[in-house]
Amino acid sequence: MKFINRILIGTLVLSAFASCSSDDDTTDELMGENSITLEFDNAVGSDDLLLATSSYTNSQNETLTITRLNYIVSNFRLTNNMGEVFTYEKDDSYFVTSEETGNTEVVLENIPAGTYISVTFGIGVDQEKYLQGAEGQGDFLTVAEETNMMWSWQAGYKFLNFEGTFTSETVTEATDFKVHMGSHGSSLDNYKEVTLSLGTDALVSDEMSPIIHLVADASVILDGENKLSLSEQSVIMVSEEKSPLVALNTASMFTVDHVHNGTGDSH
Amino acid sequence: MKYLLWVLLSLFLVSCSNDYVAIENTLLTVEVPKNFPELAYDIDANPPTQLGFELGKKLFYDGKLSSNGFISCGFCHEQSSAFTHHGHQFSHGVNDLEGTRNTPSISNMAFFNEFAWDGATSHLDLFPIIPITNEVEMGETMTGVINKLIADAVYQREFEMAFEEGGVNAENFLKAISQFMVMMISSNSKYDKYKRNEEGGQLTETEAMGLTVFQQKCASCHATDLFTDGSFRNNGLPPNPQLNDLGRVEVSGSDSDKYKFKVPSLRNVSLTAPYMHDGRFGSLESVLNFYTNGMVDSETLDDSLQTQDGLGIALNDEEKEGLLAFFEILTDYTFINDERFSEY
Repeated sequence: MKFINRILIGTLVLSAFASCSSDDDTTDELMGENSITLEFDNAVGSDDLLLATSSYTNSQNETLTITRLNYIVSNFRLTNNMGEVFTYEKDDSYFVTSEETGNTEVVLENIPAGTYISVTFGIGVDQEKYLQGAEGQGDFLTVAEETNMMWSWQAGYKFLNFEGTFTSETVTEATDFKVHMGSHGSSLDNYKEVTLSLGTDALVSDEMSPIIHLVADASVILDGENKLSLSEQSVIMVSEEKSPLVALNTASMFTVDHVHNGTGDSH
Repeated sequence: MKYLLWVLLSLFLVSCSNDYVAIENTLLTVEVPKNFPELAYDIDANPPTQLGFELGKKLFYDGKLSSNGFISCGFCHEQSSAFTHHGHQFSHGVNDLEGTRNTPSISNMAFFNEFAWDGATSHLDLFPIIPITNEVEMGETMTGVINKLIADAVYQREFEMAFEEGGVNAENFLKAISQFMVMMISSNSKYDKYKRNEEGGQLTETEAMGLTVFQQKCASCHATDLFTDGSFRNNGLPPNPQLNDLGRVEVSGSDSDKYKFKVPSLRNVSLTAPYMHDGRFGSLESVLNFYTNGMVDSETLDDSLQTQDGLGIALNDEEKEGLLAFFEILTDYTFINDERFSEY
């Protein structure tokens, strides 16, 4: 109920604001609220990500066949063309996207009408949320468990679960790789946030429910700004040195490809 | 610090054949003992209620939380041994599998920030996930447990009565178990009575001498009346090559944490044998002998255990005798006999 109240108040305030602004402002016409869909399209470089099918060779001459790409996205914030930030209700702001289940869409409900120019979100679960314990968790724990995003022995979340097999000059037999990244108890916080400009304004109103199409380039996880060689270490989990590099790379794998404005039912 | 003094306004209406019976849920008091530090647990986020506490207790003693239906939390955490597994170096879980660490005591959990020997979680609410999902302990999944509870009409009603929102879900499940653990405060040993100047707190000469030795030589790590500073340290135990347990490294991924384990509380220590993270010592005498002459050096050995005179803690026989007498007065008979926490 708290959430709904807040949304209602937010909507009222924003609507009031919109109706009071100058007459030739286009936001005048944007009234009410609607959902925004963020579609996470997983790719490898410029290729589509096909699990357990295609292989991908990176700049370190390692050839990867990917069997799993799951990650947690969270704490969505939207900025409109007047610089105002709409923060999505925190307790409802945690999502697992999973290539293997095909669940790669995040739908943010009840977004106040407006012209949005950028989106900010986190990769993983922030310490603030973690340190709330069970409070506000709802069913997210079991959702995370069912999608292999819970570190059972560490009672924490895997922010990223990236698995498959690889070969390289030195590793000629196909060998499993596993990259699991998350925070390390109280000793290392790997939660990162990213802000992406939408390029095209995303318009929300009673009639308009935009789809923001993001591309997540999985090649960046190991072969981005930081280079991580699977030949050197094929299982990267709780490593004080490597997991922060994975976290930084992962946060930089997202770009906004395009925005569909409209009723939300077409691409 | 008193969290009390309001009766839950909401009454829960429960259908009982044709009648409606109002069941009242009341808030429980979490009273911080005078000689204790402040609570670490955020009581406001999960205020213990009578029905929440009772539900948590039922869950604590319910084998349903494990894959084979027999291993409850209470299976390894027995009240008479201050909620440890008496006589077990390692506990056996489902399918007779055995872990690699000794069952720690459960008491005063609401005063701590880090849980498990390696600090695998920094929130009490999230701790039960570890034994539940560990395949050599309870071998279940959270999803599996929640589904079993949803299928149970009695649990469904109990969850609805204990919590205003959500019914049977992971959040309320963990909150209920926490409410039970938050109430498990051990603060009535002879030592506590001595500290609070209460009746029955008169120390013998040996006990008083032991306390002095303890304060001089042990209390820098076993600090406050919780008898731990909550830190992770390598106390110089020779690593067991068969287990090669690296301790906190498994959580932090940092080599500087090699062989570090959480400093355990010494409350009820006379009841919690065997000792150390791997339960290698069967008696407190052995523990003291280890500190005087059993320690091995390594890169991460705690600074406080290295002196100009060598490794360890210098203790003569008289001091050891004093310490052993002191350990006895840390036993809280009220706590281990408290029916609120009893299985039956």
